[in-house]
Amino acid sequence: MNAITVTDLHKKYRSHLGRKPTYPVKGLSFTVAPNEVFGFLGRNGAGKTTTIKILCSLLRPTSGTASIRGVKAQSRAARRLIGYLPENPYFYEYLTPRETIDFYGRLRGFSRAAREEQWQSISDLLDLRPIAERRVRGFSKGMRQRLGFGVAMVGDPEVMILDEPMSGLDPVGRRQIRELIHLLKERGKTVFFSSHVLGDVEQICDRVGILVDGQLSTEGRVSDLLHRRVDRVEITVGGLKEPNAKSLAESASVEWRRSGAGDCFVVDGLDKANAFAQRILAAGGVLREFVPIKVTLEDVFMEEQEPAA
Amino acid sequence: MIILAVAQNTFREAVRDKVLYVLLFFSATAILSSKALGWISIGQDIKIVKDISLAAVALFGVLIAIFIGTNLIYKEVDKRTIYTIICQPMRRYEFILGKYLGLAGLLALVTGVMTIVASTYVLALGGTLDATFFMAAFLIYWELLLLTALAVLLSSVTSPILGAIIVFTVFMVGHATSILNELPDHISGAARAVMNGAYYILPNLSNFNIRAEAANGVVVAPSYVAWAIAYGAIYTTVLLVLASLAFEDKDV
Ligand SMILES: Nc1ncnc2c1ncn2[C@@H]1O[C@H](COP(=O)(O)OP(=O)(O)O)[C@@H](O)[C@H]1O
Ligand SMILES: [Mg+2]
Repeated sequence: MNAITVTDLHKKYRSHLGRKPTYPVKGLSFTVAPNEVFGFLGRNGAGKTTTIKILCSLLRPTSGTASIRGVKAQSRAARRLIGYLPENPYFYEYLTPRETIDFYGRLRGFSRAAREEQWQSISDLLDLRPIAERRVRGFSKGMRQRLGFGVAMVGDPEVMILDEPMSGLDPVGRRQIRELIHLLKERGKTVFFSSHVLGDVEQICDRVGILVDGQLSTEGRVSDLLHRRVDRVEITVGGLKEPNAKSLAESASVEWRRSGAGDCFVVDGLDKANAFAQRILAAGGVLREFVPIKVTLEDVFMEEQEPAA
Repeated sequence: MIILAVAQNTFREAVRDKVLYVLLFFSATAILSSKALGWISIGQDIKIVKDISLAAVALFGVLIAIFIGTNLIYKEVDKRTIYTIICQPMRRYEFILGKYLGLAGLLALVTGVMTIVASTYVLALGGTLDATFFMAAFLIYWELLLLTALAVLLSSVTSPILGAIIVFTVFMVGHATSILNELPDHISGAARAVMNGAYYILPNLSNFNIRAEAANGVVVAPSYVAWAIAYGAIYTTVLLVLASLAFEDKDV
């Protein structure tokens, strides 16, 4: 059974104080398998938070369905299965982290002993002990995010839903979050998180989906998305005469430009580049550089955005 | 249990807020300075102290009910603290009731402390206390519970400022509802219909007001007090049900 199933989801925000109604999610469908780390990508305003809020029962879908392990997302049973870290999480400023974790434990119906145990393991994992008795008022972004992660982990839920868990953090903070996501995966959890920090996503996700115009425009394993694109190779060559270089480029129909460093050819695909290099050598050229250019998730992402831009 | 957790937390928020102590300070000052007014009418000072003390309990209680109550739900949505709460495996009405009970507990503490201060003062001045005095204080609290339920309802559907204006208006008009029913003849047509309608819809808060009897030591029948309690309980329950329904499908 899927950890998350979303089918033909629509959400309309009604017009409000002169603003026109908006339709950030229109016909969204996707699934997330158990124990998968799924990156939910899209630019600001794409509708990531809207989708996540529907999964967490904060919003009702206008139409379509969302379910957690086969249970309707708007039900209490589904909420028992999820842990939610909102974008910029806010907690009661007058509570300490210890009181905060305890409060959420009570909302989940745990006994005092279970809550104490819960605090021990969560505070160890997230290093909350040093700030255990300080009020949340005055916490830095990184401390709030750590506490938010702790709150999401209360009750050891199966499916973790994290909204922009890395935005606004410094490199150390981002790395901590990446390690936590890894750990959750090792513990058999499903992690669904939204992001626009693509470098981080590339490293930790099993699969990604890119949200454009309220629908997933691309979805798949990170490795597939990257390899589906033909790698390009830049070949820099010396010792060729200009007409020679030009005719070589034209006959193989590759990009060509002449610079101080020599002739530069850009060839699609590794095989084609190898064959082309042979012809250069045969024509008396000397290879100076042979640089395959990797496709990054960012390239894929930018390509998907083109129609919208 | 979940309702209790929310209630205790709401209570904790209020007692960690300095505004509460400022309000308590002013209300204690009002009670203790009532003697000064008593001097103006010689021989009446105990009566005046009782009258002003109960008025102070009512006034400061209403201020707390309005200022905390109309913010109660709105603030949670506005500050987004509600996000991590509504996604817990609890029902939304448990949140509403928990918030309400937390504030009800706070009001019990505040009116209780003020009543103790007032009665200690009356005794220190050589006066006597009777059951009516305490029944009057209790009915003030019962009225505050109703007004708090109204504030919580408004807090889940509108802004605190509009909510405060409405609760305050209901408080003022609710103590003079008979005006709406005994209209002079020159008011007619739609205006008359609206005012008559308001008479039946608005809570009749003068039902909870036995302060004059308390000040003058007049006995009030327990059956009357029981009736006022039942009236308040029904009205309050309806308001809380409406608040829960308004919040049930709300997008936050
Ligand atoms: N409560 C709301 N009322 C009206 N429009 C909203 C509301 N929340 C978000 N939107 C709009 O919906 C769109 C999607 O927002 P959001 O889901 O927050 O995007 P993301 O998280 O991908 O940045 C945006 O254009 C935003 O302005
Ligand atoms: Mg967002």
